[in-house]
Amino acid sequence: MKNFEGLNYYEILKIPANSTSFEIKRAYQDALSIYNEDSLVTYSLFSNEERGNLLNTVKEAYSTLIDENKRAAYDTILLDSGQIEMSITSIQNQKTPPHAHTSHMTDRDTVEERVRKKSRKKEVETLSNEILSRDLISGDDLKKMREAAGIELSEINAVTKITVTVLKSMEENRIEGLPPKLYLKNFLRHYAEILQIDSQKVIDGYLKHISSVQKK
Amino acid sequence: MAQIYPIGGGKGGVGKTFITASLGALLAKSGKKVVLIDLDLGGSNLHTVLGINDQQGGINRFLDKTVKNLENMAVPTVIQNLFFISSSLCSMEIANLFHAHKLKIINAIQKLAFDYILLDLGTGTNFNTLDFFLTSNQGIFICTPEPTAIENSFRFIKAVYLRKLKHIVKQHSFHSAVKKAVIHPNHEAVTSPDIIEIVLKHDPDREMFLRNRLSGFKFKFILNQFRKNLDATIGDKIEDLCNRHFYSNFQFLGNVGYDVRIHDSVLSKKVFIHKYPYAPPAIDIKKIAEKIINTRSFIPVTG
Ligand SMILES: Nc1ncnc2c1ncn2[C@@H]1O[C@H](COP(=O)(O)OP(=O)(O)OP(=O)(O)O)[C@@H](O)[C@H]1O
Ligand SMILES: [Mg+2]
Repeated sequence: MKNFEGLNYYEILKIPANSTSFEIKRAYQDALSIYNEDSLVTYSLFSNEERGNLLNTVKEAYSTLIDENKRAAYDTILLDSGQIEMSITSIQNQKTPPHAHTSHMTDRDTVEERVRKKSRKKEVETLSNEILSRDLISGDDLKKMREAAGIELSEINAVTKITVTVLKSMEENRIEGLPPKLYLKNFLRHYAEILQIDSQKVIDGYLKHISSVQKK
Repeated sequence: MAQIYPIGGGKGGVGKTFITASLGALLAKSGKKVVLIDLDLGGSNLHTVLGINDQQGGINRFLDKTVKNLENMAVPTVIQNLFFISSSLCSMEIANLFHAHKLKIINAIQKLAFDYILLDLGTGTNFNTLDFFLTSNQGIFICTPEPTAIENSFRFIKAVYLRKLKHIVKQHSFHSAVKKAVIHPNHEAVTSPDIIEIVLKHDPDREMFLRNRLSGFKFKFILNQFRKNLDATIGDKIEDLCNRHFYSNFQFLGNVGYDVRIHDSVLSKKVFIHKYPYAPPAIDIKKIAEKIINTRSFIPVTG
């Protein structure tokens, strides 16, 4: 079984990137009718936990795309990572496209490179060395390192496609919002790679932290 | 090369046997050479739906070696080009088939010289049924549009999927820790995500291979006993959903309408399709047969 791994918000709602708000609303209703608890087509397919996570992601996709500003910001990220093209986005219809430079827009490496560069600052390194030397690594620690580097959650989402809801759950140590361990490890690895820190230490430290929280 | 289609589905009475007979009949009527094999060992009744009074036996004589070649057990039916291999005279214990016997049957099926080979499977998710379903790299499951049938179908799909995953690990080189987890697991209930997790941990380079192999398996499905007042898009929704959430491939073949005459024709031992070629379910199944003929035999992606 897999979740919405690797899908962007448009793909999750199964709509093209130039959809109108009417189409977005309709697609959202369709998605709810499929993933809701009383849906016949997903009856018994998911555990309650899996279903809850999927529904959260659908809601997050909707609330981002239905809000003009949030959507424009999200589109810019997708453009930068080459997942959509300028000609088909809603941005095109606005008077001043937020992204006038199109020279590197189809280059996914560029956005990754740009995000990675942020974590190469000296003070980020000092902070992460200190955190990684500990046995337990909490979500707050992850957040501190990310903020020190000045990286946004939406940027991590653009590069790794991990949804913002899940990233938030990771940073807020919300165990009920975390994916199964197998995915969690993978997500932690991606997260660490963006911050350019030792991913194995992050995985081990974070899992230890989570299990120590669970014991309480 | 023969196209083999095992026909299964977790729930009893959904219409596996009826669809096997009807689909086989329509493929034969369009000029293909078809054999139907009753593999519902211990629960066989395909011969009745075909209107055959079986006295001769079939698979039993192949297993007890009185007949060497399974092909010789294929008997003609009232429909030209349509043949049938029975298991009705298999002894009661045959339901718990020996592993060696199961492999012998699967091997023989794979060698049969027909255009289409359809296997009518039993209900449930026992190992025989799952392994017969995995005879080919594609299979059809039959479901009805009811929560109980859908629940059993998902259970069936997950069981096939897990079994497939285990076969892949057993048949290819994987790290010993992965093999051990599959062959001698520490606990009973190993799930598909468990196995993938173990692969990621001990054999990360092989994960892609595993995914590719899983995606080479094609699940096709039919919604049977479909009544007019229902939402006709359920099938497409299930297809889409399964393609999103499993690594294997899913294709919805179509709805088959509910018709009381189906039950009556079974009672009178007449082949429904033959007797009522223009009844709505007959037309539905004809469309499905055309879809199957038009699908090109595909080459699985392997790593
Ligand atoms: N589309 C349909 N409309 C009406 N009745 C149907 C339809 N399909 C099947 N039936 C009836 O449902 C009953 C069960 O069908 P069938 O024996 O084919 O199911 P099955 O899945 O093979 O069952 P089993 O699990 O016992 O092998 C039969 O009486 C058959 O006539
Ligand atoms: Mg049957």
